[in-house]
Amino acid sequence: MSELGIAVRRGRTRRRPRLSWAFAFVLPLLMVAMELAVFSVEPRVLSQRNLINILNQSSYVLVFAAAQMMVILTRGFDLSLGASVSAISVASALVMTGLASAGAPAWLIVVAGLAAGMGFGLLVGLFNGLLVAGLGINPFVVTLGSLNICLGLATTISGGRPVFNVPDPFSHLLYDGTFIPGIPVPLTLAAIISLLLYFVLGHTVFGRSLYLIGNNPRAAELAGLPSKRYLALAYVCCALLAAFGALMLTARTGSGEPNLGGSLMLESIAAAVIGGVSLMGGVGGILQALLGAMFVTMLSNAMDLLEVGGYVQQILLGCVIIGAIFLDRLRVTRS
Amino acid sequence: MAGEVTGREASASAFDRAYRFYAAVGFLPIMLALFVIVLALFVPHFLALGNIFNVLRSSSYLVILAVGQMLVMIVGGFDLSVGAVVALTSVVSASVMAGLAGSLGGHPGIIIALGVGAGVGCGLAIGLLNGLCVAFLKVSPFMVTLGTASIATGFALLLTDGIPVYGMPKSFVNDFGRGLWLQLPTAVYVAVIIVMLLWVMQNFTRMGRYIYAIGGNLQAAIVSGVRAKTHLILAYALCAMLASVSGLALTAQIGSGQAVLNAQLTLESIAAAVIAGVSLKGGVGKVEMVALAAVFLLTLTDAMDLLKIDPRVQSIFLGVIVVLAVAVEELAKRRMTLV
Repeated sequence: MSELGIAVRRGRTRRRPRLSWAFAFVLPLLMVAMELAVFSVEPRVLSQRNLINILNQSSYVLVFAAAQMMVILTRGFDLSLGASVSAISVASALVMTGLASAGAPAWLIVVAGLAAGMGFGLLVGLFNGLLVAGLGINPFVVTLGSLNICLGLATTISGGRPVFNVPDPFSHLLYDGTFIPGIPVPLTLAAIISLLLYFVLGHTVFGRSLYLIGNNPRAAELAGLPSKRYLALAYVCCALLAAFGALMLTARTGSGEPNLGGSLMLESIAAAVIGGVSLMGGVGGILQALLGAMFVTMLSNAMDLLEVGGYVQQILLGCVIIGAIFLDRLRVTRS
Repeated sequence: MAGEVTGREASASAFDRAYRFYAAVGFLPIMLALFVIVLALFVPHFLALGNIFNVLRSSSYLVILAVGQMLVMIVGGFDLSVGAVVALTSVVSASVMAGLAGSLGGHPGIIIALGVGAGVGCGLAIGLLNGLCVAFLKVSPFMVTLGTASIATGFALLLTDGIPVYGMPKSFVNDFGRGLWLQLPTAVYVAVIIVMLLWVMQNFTRMGRYIYAIGGNLQAAIVSGVRAKTHLILAYALCAMLASVSGLALTAQIGSGQAVLNAQLTLESIAAAVIAGVSLKGGVGKVEMVALAAVFLLTLTDAMDLLKIDPRVQSIFLGVIVVLAVAVEELAKRRMTLV
């Protein structure tokens, strides 16, 4: 893979790693075409309710795709993302239900739940980041290890059963309350995260360094960047974003689910890559994650409305992933 | 760095001897041996004949899968679709056999041959798809095999609606799947034969060398006249076909074709290869070590079962061991470059 990677890099370094105009529009055009095609068969797809539904749904996918993007930019990936989501969901739900049954005030319950979730995420991120950056172990192995650890923890502390009765104030805060009137909370939260990441990736030394580390790790080292620290920080950011997504999902379901993150690991990577975040590192941004998340959500929404069976959806998703790589190749070789 | 080296010189001779032994034998066999001794001493029934057979049988499926994974990792990729190929093979071969049972009821041999052919054919098709995409499109094997995994799992579920397929010939299940030859489960022989064939291929054939060369330095291999694309595709095809063989053996043992066999199989096969020191960067990996690592993983699981450790907690142990094995090896490598 590495040598193939180099072969590809040569083609890419001649131009700036920026999407050419034509290809930046491929995915949005595909989305519009898909929605119009479905509209001719099933008009409900463009109803206001369904569009809001799509936006809401893609908010969650976006958070996880953005988390994954942080490490994909550095040529890594995080296989533990789904398992950590499960573990965080269960852990925060247990903390909150425990406090609720002890009769703690609502604000304390919510704060403790948030802190427990983010704290767990921080631990996962530090584990991944320190082993990848500090010891230089391949991210695949490290996150494969933390995947198993998180999976074990999620099922052990919950006993394999969902943790019900997550207090309502928590759900109000992250799911069905009002933050900005008229706009669903998940959408608001996803928008805030996007703006934050746009700023971090584009306008901070840390963000710009992630691109350099992904593009050319050796050059980043020689340029005197604290590469290891930034690399570890990327994994911490990834895990924290995943933790926040896990809390949002927990608020939505109102329970801590030990298998909440089942397919999230693959979905998040697929969304990021379909959007145009390159697995070879250094290419992509929040806009790409957003496009990918929207596309994946729209596709599954359209298939649900057309009553395509779950098994066929899985086959189609596989075809879309392979199709996305074709597109990615075109992007690279054209330029 | 220099200060560190002189500081170590005092204990160098003892350390050197230990290190030379370690370098000659390797990390894994030592760990496995220590592990077995400790288990034999402390875990009741570990050395019972029945238990040893059990470990050998269950590890042979993983051995077949992991050595295939190793081939792909040596050429610098990996294959996330092996678990899905196992499931698809299981479903397709069982369906073919069950479907032919009516018309060809009197000839179990032909039924089995066709079922096995169909199963391995599925593996070959997916392997070729993986290989062609990686070799000609030069795309990340991660994404390609992720896509084919999704497709294969979807087909396996679609074919059966998730319901197990029964009705395979009795001789396939009783004589092959659950049978014993010379006191040993048949799957063990299959695994041993495959490991030996691959060992010969890796050490004595041109193809084995080429596969190492491609993973070690693709440009150099191409310049030296290695047909890199052919061998890349070959590695992926072999990997998927071995997954099919593993799927057939599992199907025969279970006695039914199942679309959901073991979600962890893919990750376990990669874990076994990684523990065995197969580099994710390609070019490194020995088949005998991978087989040992797979046995090691299953021995560990078996010991935890005997100690009545909750399977959920076992998952945590598995994670820790994978990271630990690689971390120790990484640190040892660093020390070697220092000394």
